[in-house]
Amino acid sequence: MSNDFQTWVNVAAYIGGGAAMGLGAIGAAIGEGYTAAYANSAISRSPNLSGEIFKSMLVGQAVAESASIFALVIAMVLLFTEFSSQSFLMIFVPLSAGLSIGFGAIGSGVGSGFPAGAACMGISRQPAMSAKLTTNMLIGSAVCQTPAIFALVTSFILLFTDFSSSPVSPTWAAILGAGLASGLGAIGSGLGGGLVAGASCDGIARQPKSATTVTNVMLLGQAVTQTTAIYGLLISFILMFKTFAPTDSIAAAMALLGAGLSIGIGAIGPGIGEGFTAQSAVSSIAKNQKATAEITRVMLVGQAVSESTGIYALVISLVLIFVI
Amino acid sequence: MEEIREIQKKYCSRAMFTAIFGGLFLILADHVSIGKGLILGTIFSSINFVLMGETLPKRLLQNQRNKAVMFSLGSIFVRYLILALPLLLAIKMEQFNLISVICGIFMVQLMILGEQFAKFFLKLRGKTV
Repeated sequence: MSNDFQTWVNVAAYIGGGAAMGLGAIGAAIGEGYTAAYANSAISRSPNLSGEIFKSMLVGQAVAESASIFALVIAMVLLFTEFSSQSFLMIFVPLSAGLSIGFGAIGSGVGSGFPAGAACMGISRQPAMSAKLTTNMLIGSAVCQTPAIFALVTSFILLFTDFSSSPVSPTWAAILGAGLASGLGAIGSGLGGGLVAGASCDGIARQPKSATTVTNVMLLGQAVTQTTAIYGLLISFILMFKTFAPTDSIAAAMALLGAGLSIGIGAIGPGIGEGFTAQSAVSSIAKNQKATAEITRVMLVGQAVSESTGIYALVISLVLIFVI
Repeated sequence: MEEIREIQKKYCSRAMFTAIFGGLFLILADHVSIGKGLILGTIFSSINFVLMGETLPKRLLQNQRNKAVMFSLGSIFVRYLILALPLLLAIKMEQFNLISVICGIFMVQLMILGEQFAKFFLKLRGKTV
């Protein structure tokens, strides 16, 4: 019987490892491809600047690739670590860890491609702004990586926490819910942050004088897009660290899984929506710096409204955990 | 592609310098596996970055689309295999600490981002790097 149990733990680790790398590769591949596509257009526009464009593309792709390297790290840990089979819960831990980083890397990978592509195009338009564009691109890309880092942190906590003393039911659902909350919750924020960073690189290339203002508004816009990923992380932490009373009821377990799904799926839309708002605001500020205060105000109001659906998802998750 | 070589040289040498000094410090402080892990991860991070840059012109400047796709996929496949190697070593051998190997794998990215953030914040303070 113990052999059968260990087999199931291994099966879960292999599925988790496969999901981590398979899903995690999607975003970075799209992001890097997007960057290369724009680098091609930029070189065709200004062939004499190919060296500078290559340079920007290389560092941009290196950062965009980080999300999939996070996934690779977790996949390798899942595939080659011998997990103990002392508790039935160990079947869900590797599965959840793999899903967390797998989903979590998608948005950040794609998102990081947007500023890198825009920076390549920007250099072909304004070669003199190359250094500023690279700095802005890398700062924007780094912020895009934060949701993937949240997912990575969740995966590591899941893998290195000892759940053996927790009751099997409903903790199995809390473990799965935690991975899904953090992983799915990171998709929208990663993409949204990338849209803003891409627009800011484009804006700086078109209106070099607006660089400082555009970068500052980009950081503000990106900060708001990241909030829904933080909600996902928050629910994930509650699910991982709250002690749940043992129960045989499947409904109680499903409530915890539902909590993870609610914030995970619910965070995707607001993250992208807030990204659209800030993307447009950054582009508009680059065109008309004098209207910065007005545009920033409208941006924040628009983002707050878009955020409300994420807050509904958060409230439902909290109700599912603490009330039901 | 002198520009790419220059940028590779800059970031890889900074990464290796940081890892070797950090690693030596850790080894002297009796954290041998952490120090060795950091250096191991950084070596592979640098190899990955060099390969990424070396295959860049081949990926972009192909006349045939099939060849460009083949180079891109081959490059990704080989580089991921290379990055998997230190992780595998750290998981299987106690001489290398897994967490420090993971930190080492991101050393080039940390150097790139560190430089840009330093420039950005120093500029905000009205200084130049």
